Amino acid sequence: MKNNILIALALLLPALARADGQWVLEQCTLTYHVSHPLHQTEGVSHAARGKGTCHAGQCDFLIAVPVKSFDSGDSNRDLHMLQVTRGAEFPMVTVRTRLPEWSATSATLNVDLEIQFAGQTAEYKQVPFKLETHGGETHIAGTIAATLSDFKIDPPSLLTMHVKNEIPVRVEMTWRPQ
Amino acid sequence: MKARGVQLILCLGILLLPLLFTKPLRAQAADATLSGTVTSPSGAAVPNAKVSARNLATGQSTDTQTNASGVYNLTSLPSGDYEVSISADGFATKVSPATLTAGTTLTLNAGLAAPPAQLPNAPSSSRTEPSLQDLGFPAAETQSDAAKQALLDKRTHMLKMHQRMGLITTLPMIATVVASMGAGGRDTSSASRDLHVALGGLTGDLYAITAYYAIRAPRVPGTESHGPIRFHKAMAWIHGPGMILTPILGAMAFDQKSNGQKVHGIASAHGPVAIVTAGAFGAALLSMSVKF
Repeated sequence: MKNNILIALALLLPALARADGQWVLEQCTLTYHVSHPLHQTEGVSHAARGKGTCHAGQCDFLIAVPVKSFDSGDSNRDLHMLQVTRGAEFPMVTVRTRLPEWSATSATLNVDLEIQFAGQTAEYKQVPFKLETHGGETHIAGTIAATLSDFKIDPPSLLTMHVKNEIPVRVEMTWRPQ
Repeated sequence: MKARGVQLILCLGILLLPLLFTKPLRAQAADATLSGTVTSPSGAAVPNAKVSARNLATGQSTDTQTNASGVYNLTSLPSGDYEVSISADGFATKVSPATLTAGTTLTLNAGLAAPPAQLPNAPSSSRTEPSLQDLGFPAAETQSDAAKQALLDKRTHMLKMHQRMGLITTLPMIATVVASMGAGGRDTSSASRDLHVALGGLTGDLYAITAYYAIRAPRVPGTESHGPIRFHKAMAWIHGPGMILTPILGAMAFDQKSNGQKVHGIASAHGPVAIVTAGAFGAALLSMSVKF
């Protein structure tokens, strides 16, 4: 009887551990795109960190990235970006989402995101992402149709011409279960 | 007459009846039903549990509640992939996938688990939403810095003024170069030279204000220049000294011309120095405007 209980426990423990599993962000590339009448600019950051905690079939994910980590290829432009987005006052961009645990096996995913940036919180509903799983790692890619006005950011200008309000952010992530 | 009217209404009614029923019948055939029983860990029925089915394609949610027997029934759901979320007070929320096919009923029974135990010494990341602290960023990176923000605000304000003044300076600078065509030749009048000097003086004054805003803009500690801004700054090392040298050489050339002499010696470098200065200024302006 005692042996049976031990065997049952041994079989159940991994399942329980999986139910309360965690995800760790292995790699992440975030790219924002800014359009100005004179040129197009992209700022890239590889400094994002993220974690997902799962319980009862639900996973809560948090991804954060320092605002100052974005590099557009010009330090002056990056400092302007830091200023207009109030990056010293609000140094982190955070993205939160809640997903069912089984969604890691889907090929596509529509995700509700809550993004905190520049002291504001914006919600993006049903943002489409593509998923690919290779060797236990899940690669997720998609574009968030963010705008400056979502975060009450005045569009910066160059030579008296303002940039466009739309700043789509391309997201490429690799998650690993822990 | 009355009997004929009644007959006509009856006939119309008989003809219209199929039309009235056709649409709902079709809808019934195309829609799916999701039903099931919600139970507690002990197997008892859970009444008043909230059941929400979200269509993954449209994002539309359809909600219902379980009855006293723990049974729920969601009818008239379009076929497709769904995320079914079942929650009840005192239980952990359960989320399951479901694929509904038109004209069929899918039974999805759910056994709700007890809520997670709140252990006093449990790490924050074990069963709750992850926090910023869980991600391990250095504290200096996540803390707000009002002084730095004020520095950035001042820097941006001064560089905006620098940019505006630079654009304004461009106009008299071009006019000065154009006016120089009639100021340096053998047969030029003193009026042409005076116009050239006046425009050059205005350019110099505006340039000085432009330079002031760039030089006095605060530096941000820990920032290394890279990208087109480096070229912009390098050009300043050409047009800056050029803007000092050009009027000095110009004054010498002006004196020589006013004395009826041909411009000679070092003063003859006024034109080439001015062209290089204006060229460097233009290149600095372009480096901020055009990506290369």
